[in-house]
Amino acid sequence: MNNLWILNMGFAALLIGTGIYCLLTMKNVVKLLIGLEIIAKGVTLALVASGYARNNLLLAQSLAITVIVVDVAVIATALAIIININRHTKSLDVGKLTRLKG
Amino acid sequence: MHLFLMIGLVAFSILAVLNRDLLKSAICLAVASVFLALIFFQMNAVYAGVFEVSVVAGLITVLFITAIALTRGDQPVVESKRHLFIFPLFFLILIVLDILVMKKLLGRIPAIAGSETGTFGEVLWNQRTFDLVGQIGVIFAGVLGVLALFRQGDTPHKGSTPQEGTHE
Repeated sequence: MNNLWILNMGFAALLIGTGIYCLLTMKNVVKLLIGLEIIAKGVTLALVASGYARNNLLLAQSLAITVIVVDVAVIATALAIIININRHTKSLDVGKLTRLKG
Repeated sequence: MHLFLMIGLVAFSILAVLNRDLLKSAICLAVASVFLALIFFQMNAVYAGVFEVSVVAGLITVLFITAIALTRGDQPVVESKRHLFIFPLFFLILIVLDILVMKKLLGRIPAIAGSETGTFGEVLWNQRTFDLVGQIGVIFAGVLGVLALFRQGDTPHKGSTPQEGTHE
């Protein structure tokens, strides 16, 4: 266990915490996606930093690339959903998405 | 240098969250991605760095800016001003927890025998073949999802009556 790994994992935890804060408190749906993206950044950093520290960098990179690809697909689909939501509600506020409320 | 890049990454991520203008937020996110890619390059993770710059800083930023441009002009969402006070407090608590917990937590993880052999291509194609198949599936699912969401022309017209014989 080296100090660089602890530093990297600490900053990854900060990124994930910032993303979770964004997801919990923001009202704009685009901001929520930005929060999701920040969490993905933290996870990618943690993967590559762990691979670097444990001398498994090639495997860590392949996992990081998998995370990035999944992230792109999620963001593209979510942005398409957001554009459709905006066409119907004329707003990006998550508070106004109450059509399915029971 | 490494610490500077890390601070830049976290700072631009925070700016992306707290900025009120969505366009500026998207650009801050792209800059944060560039910082992350530089960190990857510094750790000799060249392939992850290239993916981070080209896909996350490039493609995702373009997608965000396109979506923001298509949804602009409608009712703006007013975020609360409380974030300017709550977020620094939350971040301070997060840093304190990080310092207190992280070293003990990581110390419990057993050291795995490392030292890989071969090239990145061999690891990706031989060891993670199933991941690659999954990635291709995810990409196709994303493309089909976007196509389905933007499909037009099959919505029923207002006032159209159901076809004869359907209720018989």
